[in-house]
Amino acid sequence: MIKLSGLFWLIVVATAGFAMFAVKYEVQGLADHLARSVKQADDTERDIRALGAEWAYLNRPDALAQLNQRFLSLAPIATKQLRTSLADIAMRPAPPPPAPVETVAAVAPIAPTSTPPIESDAPAGPPVLLAEAAAQPPSPRSPPPEQPRPILTSAPETHLAAPSGKPAPVRVALRPDPTRRAASLDQLIAQIAESR
Amino acid sequence: MSAAFQFDDNPCRPRHFKPPPCVPVVPDGPARRALDGCRPRLFAVGVAFVIAFVVIAGRLAQVTLLPGAITVPRIARFDPLPPPPPGRGDIIDRHGKLLATTLDSLSLYANPREIVDAADAADKLVAALPGLDRAALLAKLTSGKGFVWVKRHLTPDQEYAVNQLGIPGLQFEHEERRVYPYGALLSHAVGYTGIDDNGEAGIERGLDGALRGRQEPLQLSIDLRLQYILHEELARVVDDFTAKGGAGLIMNVNTGEVLAMVSLPDFDPSHPDTPDPNHPDVTIAERMFNRVTLGDYEIGSVFKIFTTAMGLDSGATTMTGRFDATYPIHIGRFTISDYHGKHRWESVPEILMYSSNIGEAKIALAVGGDRQQEYLRRFGLLSSPTFELKEIGRPHFPARWREVNVMTIGFGHGISETPLQIATAGSALVNGGILRPATLLKLPHGGAPQGISVISPETSEHMRKLLRMVVLYGTGEMVDAPGYVVGGKTGTADKVVGARYAERKLLSSFLGVFPMTAPKYLVLVMVDEPHPNKASHGYATAGWTAAPAVGRTIVRVAPLLGVQPVDESSPEIVHALTPESLEGKRIEAY
Repeated sequence: MIKLSGLFWLIVVATAGFAMFAVKYEVQGLADHLARSVKQADDTERDIRALGAEWAYLNRPDALAQLNQRFLSLAPIATKQLRTSLADIAMRPAPPPPAPVETVAAVAPIAPTSTPPIESDAPAGPPVLLAEAAAQPPSPRSPPPEQPRPILTSAPETHLAAPSGKPAPVRVALRPDPTRRAASLDQLIAQIAESR
Repeated sequence: MSAAFQFDDNPCRPRHFKPPPCVPVVPDGPARRALDGCRPRLFAVGVAFVIAFVVIAGRLAQVTLLPGAITVPRIARFDPLPPPPPGRGDIIDRHGKLLATTLDSLSLYANPREIVDAADAADKLVAALPGLDRAALLAKLTSGKGFVWVKRHLTPDQEYAVNQLGIPGLQFEHEERRVYPYGALLSHAVGYTGIDDNGEAGIERGLDGALRGRQEPLQLSIDLRLQYILHEELARVVDDFTAKGGAGLIMNVNTGEVLAMVSLPDFDPSHPDTPDPNHPDVTIAERMFNRVTLGDYEIGSVFKIFTTAMGLDSGATTMTGRFDATYPIHIGRFTISDYHGKHRWESVPEILMYSSNIGEAKIALAVGGDRQQEYLRRFGLLSSPTFELKEIGRPHFPARWREVNVMTIGFGHGISETPLQIATAGSALVNGGILRPATLLKLPHGGAPQGISVISPETSEHMRKLLRMVVLYGTGEMVDAPGYVVGGKTGTADKVVGARYAERKLLSSFLGVFPMTAPKYLVLVMVDEPHPNKASHGYATAGWTAAPAVGRTIVRVAPLLGVQPVDESSPEIVHALTPESLEGKRIEAY
């Protein structure tokens, strides 16, 4: 009887001791892991701060201006390049009236390659604005051209915001489909929106 | 009891060795009764122990076997400390660009007592860290002290190189360092910190308490792009006219937010004490001096806008009022004469357009000294402004407000103001008459303070027309920012040196506002002691120096601010900005 109970207690003590050590080592491992993770997060945060400062340093306006001078030669937007609405941009002249039947061969079809891109008809409007206008839902009716220009449109500050004082080159490549010539401004807008 | 006697039955047992009785032999009597009384107490104590053990066992089972039973914090000593917050909050511009931040950096120190071979260590360190002086380092390493700095603020590469050396006795220490990525661009606005992270100038000093231990960044009203453009244009005009310095300010007239603030010459906040290699003769104090907020200047003719505004607002005169500017005014030992004189009777718009000192002196007289002081006080021009910076100057004006003072102050002499105050009050003149304090902190959208009404909206509208006329026909013709409907006023003043006006030491300034149809932004440029150059045909007046600089700035900043150019010659705009008295008339150029 005494032997049996002694065995029982021995097993209990051994199990408890083993369990305790197992738990202890597990906890120690977890604590190490935690400390490592915390340090890593700390280091990462420090790195982020340093990289943020470096990013700001590399984006100094004067440095960007120098880089621009060397590689891009972009100029600030001139006042005459700014237009408040598409209505200010002249439309492409209407196509010539259809030639008489007998001279069709002489006139030759309007080849797709000879069709000038729509952009070239516009008097150097800023592509930024064009892209913006295209992004807006087309209005049911375009404003008549004789309407006076708005005296002042209050655009939000961000509209023309280019990073660091230099206009970003936004290139809107327009490949007009020769089979679908824009008959109206609405169609033109839809076409631009589609091509993007 | 009988058992006890049984032992004694052994005859061989020595007499003196008597085993104790196994059973206490307690005879009946008082002792017996006391012993009987103990038993329940012993039992009670036993029960208490049993209960205690049961409780402990139960708790043990609960803690070890049942999940979720532990509500006390998990092993508290392993809880990681939160990462130490940066000692100082970042500063960002209104679009989130990082203007100042705190970076962790490692500094290398040595314990010379632990260094075995000082000469060898010095050789290796000099090779790994260029810029160290070997002799000085060796002296430090052999000093026998317990702690010497080897080099502060190492780069990660240098840290790696030093670790590679494996010299015992070298240790790293984490330190924090304030970094200003944009260098001198924002020197006066942001300022800098000294050792121990104390703000020494700019917003670092002005809001030192708020920045300490701050987690989220502090957002300024400054727009970095505008700051760069203004800095570039101001530096250009200062350079072109070999001026001593300059000040520039862009302000949102409807909120009082300062979008750009430049004072030249400036300094690099990372190394505020090192002299400028390009201009070694400019003293550090001069470069630290904030001309926008700390310097007070007799701004000259720009001040006439305030006199005209108070003349119109007080009813002392009207837009059609006329004053005789034919002859100079002699008062005491002073003579007030005109620089761009027409020498005839001039109407109120003409007086401002042609910047007539005589006319403004007479308007000031019509307003009267008391009312003049009252208006100037309302405009905030007789007291120090409230601003986030500590570098704040205060206006200077005569203690006794005599008649001659009334007249000279009327055209901006005998009173000195900081450019910040001029811009703040100038904003109030054009924005409908509401004076809002200038601020360097970004206001939430629509969070502009209520402000105080200082002039009536009608007077403000008149002022817009007058400022537009100055640019169209008057002294501000050289602004040249077509499409942005600029209005403004020039000011060329002789600087006061000692107690008298110095000839040929000018202070040329221009206050420009655009677009005048609905004013949004104010640009103030002041050039200190410009010298004429060939391109300016020998002029160094505001019309040739500050006004074109403002024009160039406006052309560049307006697209960034979302101000669209308009056709200035369109009848609506011309009609809206021409005083009725001048409409349809041929206006004489100045």
